[in-house]
Amino acid sequence: MSTATTGLDPRKTRSIVIWTVVALVGAAGWTMLALSRGEEVSAAWMVAAALGSYAIGYRFYSKFIAYKVLKVDKTRATPAERLDNGIDYQPTDRRVLFGHHFAAISGAGPLVGPVLAAQMGYLPGTIWIIAGVIFAGAVQDMVVLFFSTRRNGRSLGQMAREEIGPIGGAAALLAVFAIMIILLAVLALVIVNALAGSPWGVFSIGMTIPIALFMGFYLRVIRPGRIAEVSLIGVALLLIALVAGRWVAKSSWAEAFTLSKESLVIWLVAYAFVASVLPVWMLLAPRDYLSTFMKLGTIGLLFIGVVVAAPSLKMDAVTDFATQGTGPVFAGSLFPFVFITIACGALSGFHSLISSGTTPKMVEKETQVRMIGYGSMLLESSVAIMAMIAACVLDPGLYFGMNSAPAVLGAEVQDWVSTIQGWGFTLTEADMAAYAKSVEEATLWGRTGGAPTFAIGVADIFASVTGDGLKAFWYHFAIMFEALFILTALDAGTRVGRFMLQDTLGNIYKPLKRVSWWPGLIVSSAIVTGLWGYFLWVGVRDPLGGINQLFPLFGISNQLLGAVALTVCTTLLIKSGRLKWAWVTGVPLAWVATVTLTASWQKVFSADPRVGFFAQGDVAQKQIDTGLKPNGQELTAKELDDAHTIVTNTTVDGVLSALFALLVILVIADAARVCIKAIRHPASVVSHEEPYVESKYIAPAQLFPTKEEKAELRAAGLGSGGGRTDGPREEVAP
Amino acid sequence: MTVKSATAKIWWYVRELTGETAYERYVAHVRKDHPDAPVPSRRAFERERTDRQEADPRQGFRCC
Repeated sequence: MSTATTGLDPRKTRSIVIWTVVALVGAAGWTMLALSRGEEVSAAWMVAAALGSYAIGYRFYSKFIAYKVLKVDKTRATPAERLDNGIDYQPTDRRVLFGHHFAAISGAGPLVGPVLAAQMGYLPGTIWIIAGVIFAGAVQDMVVLFFSTRRNGRSLGQMAREEIGPIGGAAALLAVFAIMIILLAVLALVIVNALAGSPWGVFSIGMTIPIALFMGFYLRVIRPGRIAEVSLIGVALLLIALVAGRWVAKSSWAEAFTLSKESLVIWLVAYAFVASVLPVWMLLAPRDYLSTFMKLGTIGLLFIGVVVAAPSLKMDAVTDFATQGTGPVFAGSLFPFVFITIACGALSGFHSLISSGTTPKMVEKETQVRMIGYGSMLLESSVAIMAMIAACVLDPGLYFGMNSAPAVLGAEVQDWVSTIQGWGFTLTEADMAAYAKSVEEATLWGRTGGAPTFAIGVADIFASVTGDGLKAFWYHFAIMFEALFILTALDAGTRVGRFMLQDTLGNIYKPLKRVSWWPGLIVSSAIVTGLWGYFLWVGVRDPLGGINQLFPLFGISNQLLGAVALTVCTTLLIKSGRLKWAWVTGVPLAWVATVTLTASWQKVFSADPRVGFFAQGDVAQKQIDTGLKPNGQELTAKELDDAHTIVTNTTVDGVLSALFALLVILVIADAARVCIKAIRHPASVVSHEEPYVESKYIAPAQLFPTKEEKAELRAAGLGSGGGRTDGPREEVAP
Repeated sequence: MTVKSATAKIWWYVRELTGETAYERYVAHVRKDHPDAPVPSRRAFERERTDRQEADPRQGFRCC
């Protein structure tokens, strides 16, 4: 291309050509996904649509937000530079911090939501994952990270209190606590459903405890701080435990490791209680190293697997359940429930807790919030896309056989098969048994919760590369990978919940605030495990299927936290005189508030007993009152028991949904008051931003330094990691 | 890039990401900003690190 005729310099021309190609690849992916009907589409097109869209979103939208809206300033010193204490405040290489931040935000969430949402077909969920992350999720993570960095790494709760007021702050704090409880219950339920009746799984997950204890001992006594080497030893032991699980499942020990859902609940709650009381070095820290290694490794393998195998998507683009709202996995129509079910991967309120607090204390340069905040979230979103692919490469009959709530399928195996055939899918009892045998599980019927489905999808994809002989191994590998970080989350989450509880109750009774005071520690740990243990128990015993009931509640609460975070961001934009850019977080806020409030409304007020909690309770109450089932038969003693359970559960769930909705309305209303005041009387606004200090630190903004940045680094004698320009130089990256 | 330098880079990244280098960085920090201050032993430093997480579990918390 001649630059003389276009009048552009060659760099610009090259950039236009590259970005046109990227846009075309993404557009081709979307076209194939949206237009193909009746034939199977290759998952490669979904990857193309996702990566093309992410690249454009990152290159253009995140740049616009960083430089036009937030006005990141590379001459301004970050808290890591100003307050560097070599411990929690310290400038950290952007590539390392990206890894830290990504490992902290990504967990089981993006693997579960998309699998459940696949009941409506792959298209609605995929559109939400990709559009949601570009315009809402990644924006939230980056903007929270930016504002927290400007405030010395203050937490979301502190910012809400400072910027909105004590009411907004208290509501935000209560929301975080309630969400934590529901989150832990749902995660634990996923694990229970994946491990029940699976001796292979129970043995290999159980072995992670002695492995972690060994690692903890090694790090504490033998070679303190040698984390990388002990992690490699741990991963090797983990793989041995995984292989050994197969022998155990085939040996006479199998029975001892075959646990019912109820006994798994008791084990899990007991484990989490003990683990959260033990010192961090014994179990939590080493477990965390293991799960981070496994997480990053498996996600990497999965990317390679999907690209190499390029499996076809067998699920329809849009199923009938999307329009009718009669889905067996979760009830309700596409709007709002797809947007509730897929939280992590599109927009996750929880990330705002990581983006404020830990990460902002380590950012070298303000300009890096784009790569770390926005970039990590895009990567997490691509994990959600992988989960969607894993669910959609399965035969739809198998998918629905595994994920349908038991109450929907019927009482006997014949009913299950005929229900699924009635939906138009081909599936026989023998098919289901063959699938179960191929992964060496007793049964796959009703294995709700997403983890087993994801694991089978992963096993399918990996086995198409490595051969079918390893399919069962890959299945259990995937289960282990999810179970490992869910168990870590149960321990860590219980500790955070306990900390919040101690902090709050400490205002009433002083000694509780001291984290080393044993009685306080035990009691508050017991309260927190008791709370999520209650929901877990209820979820396991729920005649209507626990995931079906609890997952919407989890989605609503997570999105609610997102609404709180976006409210804080919007308030901050307005208070700092950026009213004309307030839509950047204001529009996602309006969207997520609409979704959450509609969903809560339907969960509370819907007359459809499949959707509304109270309507469900009324049906059960009527059965108790009359002693009769809808078909006129008398209730058996067990059915009467079930009905009582349903009445209690639906009341608790309904009240919680209403409470969540009230909290979000309270925070938004309080913030609106503050914003209106700020617009009317700009002079009255008090800024809580730390004052400007000039930076003496040089570091590139993006993964790869630009030509100018390279020149700057070279002039200062620094490597590609950057560093200080004053005083003696620290060791820098190779 | 040779295999050796690529391996070195990966090892550098793994050590940084796991936090194995936290002690080295802390020592470098103390030496630079407080040259006369005593430096804790690695054992003591690592103990303090987990104790800190114990006191405020929100540090290093992982998400869903």
